[in-house]
Amino acid sequence: MAEHKEEMRDITFRINRFNPQVDNKPYFDDYTIPVEKGITVLRALNYIKEHVDATVSFRAFCQAGICGSCGMRINGISKLACTTQVWDELERCKVANVIKVEPLRNMPLIKDLIVDMDPMVDKMKKYSSWVESIMPEEKMGEKEFLVSEEEFLEYDKATDCILCASCMSECSILRANKEYVGPAILLKSNRMNVDSRDGANNMRIAELVKDHGVWDCTHCYRCQETCVKSIPIMDDIHGVREDALISRGVKDTSGARHAEAFMEDLPKKGKLIEATLPIRTNGMGWTLKNLLPMAFKMILKRRTPPPPPLVKPAKGIKKFREEFKEMTDHVKQDQKDQKK
Amino acid sequence: MKPFDIVVVGGGGSGLYAAMEAMKTNPSLNIAVLSKVYPNRSHTSAAQGGANAALANKAKDDTVDMHIFDTIKGSDYLADQDAVEVLCSEAPKIIRELDNIGTPWSRMDDKTIAQRPFGGAGRPRCCYCADKTGHTILQSLYEQCLKKGVFFFNEYFVLNLATGVSKSKGLIAMNMRTGKVEAFPARTVILATGGYAKMYWNRSSNAAGNTGDGQAIAYRAGIPLKDMEFVQFHPTGLRKSGLLVTEGARGEGGYLVNRNGDRFMSNYAPEKMELGPRDLVARSIETEILEGRGFESPAGPYMHLDLTHLGADLIKLRLPQIREMSMYFEGVDPIDEPIPIRPTAHYSMGGIDTDISGRTVMDGVYAAGEAGCVSVHGANRLGGNSLLDILVFGRITGRTAAEEAGKFEPAEISAVELKAKEEELRDYMKPSGHYERYGALREELGHTLGKNVGIFREASEIQKGISGISELKERFKHVRVFDTSDVFNTNLMQVLELKNMLDLAETVAAGAYAREESRGSHTRTDFPKRDDEKWHKHTTYTWVNGKPEIGEKPVTMGKHELQERTY
Repeated sequence: MAEHKEEMRDITFRINRFNPQVDNKPYFDDYTIPVEKGITVLRALNYIKEHVDATVSFRAFCQAGICGSCGMRINGISKLACTTQVWDELERCKVANVIKVEPLRNMPLIKDLIVDMDPMVDKMKKYSSWVESIMPEEKMGEKEFLVSEEEFLEYDKATDCILCASCMSECSILRANKEYVGPAILLKSNRMNVDSRDGANNMRIAELVKDHGVWDCTHCYRCQETCVKSIPIMDDIHGVREDALISRGVKDTSGARHAEAFMEDLPKKGKLIEATLPIRTNGMGWTLKNLLPMAFKMILKRRTPPPPPLVKPAKGIKKFREEFKEMTDHVKQDQKDQKK
Repeated sequence: MKPFDIVVVGGGGSGLYAAMEAMKTNPSLNIAVLSKVYPNRSHTSAAQGGANAALANKAKDDTVDMHIFDTIKGSDYLADQDAVEVLCSEAPKIIRELDNIGTPWSRMDDKTIAQRPFGGAGRPRCCYCADKTGHTILQSLYEQCLKKGVFFFNEYFVLNLATGVSKSKGLIAMNMRTGKVEAFPARTVILATGGYAKMYWNRSSNAAGNTGDGQAIAYRAGIPLKDMEFVQFHPTGLRKSGLLVTEGARGEGGYLVNRNGDRFMSNYAPEKMELGPRDLVARSIETEILEGRGFESPAGPYMHLDLTHLGADLIKLRLPQIREMSMYFEGVDPIDEPIPIRPTAHYSMGGIDTDISGRTVMDGVYAAGEAGCVSVHGANRLGGNSLLDILVFGRITGRTAAEEAGKFEPAEISAVELKAKEEELRDYMKPSGHYERYGALREELGHTLGKNVGIFREASEIQKGISGISELKERFKHVRVFDTSDVFNTNLMQVLELKNMLDLAETVAAGAYAREESRGSHTRTDFPKRDDEKWHKHTTYTWVNGKPEIGEKPVTMGKHELQERTY
């Protein structure tokens, strides 16, 4: 067989550098190396470390996409270096053949591409990211729980999580508030909550509805879009919210009331009745105290939302509702058929 | 720092189980886990297939005795039978215990834990969670340790055992965050640092950090190692990277096919076919390749692992990770095309010599998991027995240490000693005229071992390997660390890991040379037969003036007599 040569190209890796002992702030170093098609970003980084500059520092362990060590931002998006092909990244370069490599965001930087994971571990502890077994310890090992395949499938995807923290790095709330629980922990929380072997749902939910908890998520879906294991993280975040609202009866928080107000308005009018939203979310007292000055300003600028009786249903809402119902009925039927 | 009652080195399955069990045995103990990575990164996470236990959920007639026999036969009769008995009879309990603390096992229609067939096993007894079993077990154990309040010292690299006077114990470790060398006085130390198969470097399925650190520090402290020549080659590593395709892929019905389109295993194990034991399947693939029936490629010759007939649904449900890896690293979707594979160094049967309770010859020092050698795997480990080993013996060792911690004293480690160690590390950074790059040495070590001490071995080849390793050790003296910073010096850490691999590689090669027979994973083309008269015994290695001195230890027998091993 003739020797088959893969395509080679000179590619520049623009790598974030920071040594806290010397540098005041991070900067970039460029490394241009010959790269063969089929090579991953991690292998390129290893090459740079072994052959060009041994001081370039990053974490890597399994090199097979299962340990989660090598999470970093490549061309601006958080992912694993070991499962990212250099050639795929070339299409996403802002400057041709220059791949930008930066550390994960929203966690303290230690050196070059290495960030401190301790804040995530601390949150696992704070939000009880473990199964609190309903089996007493002295009885453990005697018999197995009976678990249906359907239940297993409920948390199967969530247990793919390797805690690489890509979602934490992409989360838009964590950027503003480092105390926010974060998508990875919410995912774990729901994974535990739907597990029939766990008996700590109430305790977990009680912590999650507090400040910096589940209600702070703004549904930007960045976590789910970037999850390296393609886990539908938002489903789990919604799971936590539903749990908080419905089964646990936690309706006594502003977040829950806010969500309820949406649920109340949307089916009726297809839009939100904004005038009364602050009252329904935070109560009359709070609204008068905090929003009265703003309300006056809004009147002056003629920006006040219309009073409830004047809110007209959204155009075409009736037709949309019919079509939506038809669509969901179809989906439900499909799911039923598949199960059979 | 306050002395600990137990310091566990390594945060994989055995280390975490040991910590959890020790905490359970005596909640008043002060227990720490030291790991060079965050524990959830440990290589246990890469175990895909599952863990064996005779639960008899799938095959109602499965028994612990059958599991014992399969394991002993699989070991080519080198396993200690008392240890195997413990392993197999504890197995059902440990799987249930994991279920009880939340490990997500795949399930059968009757809601019990699912089991699938695995190589060398007479019944389908491998319990699994899709193809991410090790990952989910590791997560469960880490979560439970967090819950129980175990102290974690993450990203600490252990430099040596502090053996001090009489019975005092402790460790010296480098804090990666600061570069400081710190003392960990402790009454007992459990070494649970995983295997050493990464010394085969590019022909290995292991994580970059499986460099045998625990074995190396024990060895240099005078604790004997055992059976180091037995390194298992997994039959199905990906062609380019050596990364692993689980045996579960064959368990689910995958075929091994050569260039002529033949399922060649019919010539080697007509009954078990693809599900023969690993040593046999790996040798069969290599033989096919050597005799010219392999596929050719720039990345070397390879074979096909064909899953296409299993269908998209089953592959997606049971082998999702394998599909992902084949696509990432080989550009092949196993739903449409066969996966290119070749045997890859995967598991170290050898390790620190321990008794059945995890004790080493040194008071207060214990070892468990792949770092230890009880031995339950003998000359060849069965698929699904490694997770089981780390769980069962991690637990037993944790309990032993918890019960015995009161007998020993923590060592006093002086500031002078720490300073000297720091100086020693600084020496690697001193500029000199002639220097060596660690990357090149590491790659050469892997190449030498793969070529001279690989699947097929022969006296003159192993000799070449031995002198090759000596040469590399000589060159290592000039190795230079270019990163002079204190904070997270991965350059320094990788050099220290290479040092550990070089010391251990000597024992592997020395054992391979000494053992003039073929048994399990150790195949001597110049001694193709098993020689029970001369070699039905364990090999031991003691560090004497920097070289391994070879000794021997009898195999503990039981009710299973020596038999010829055929499948």
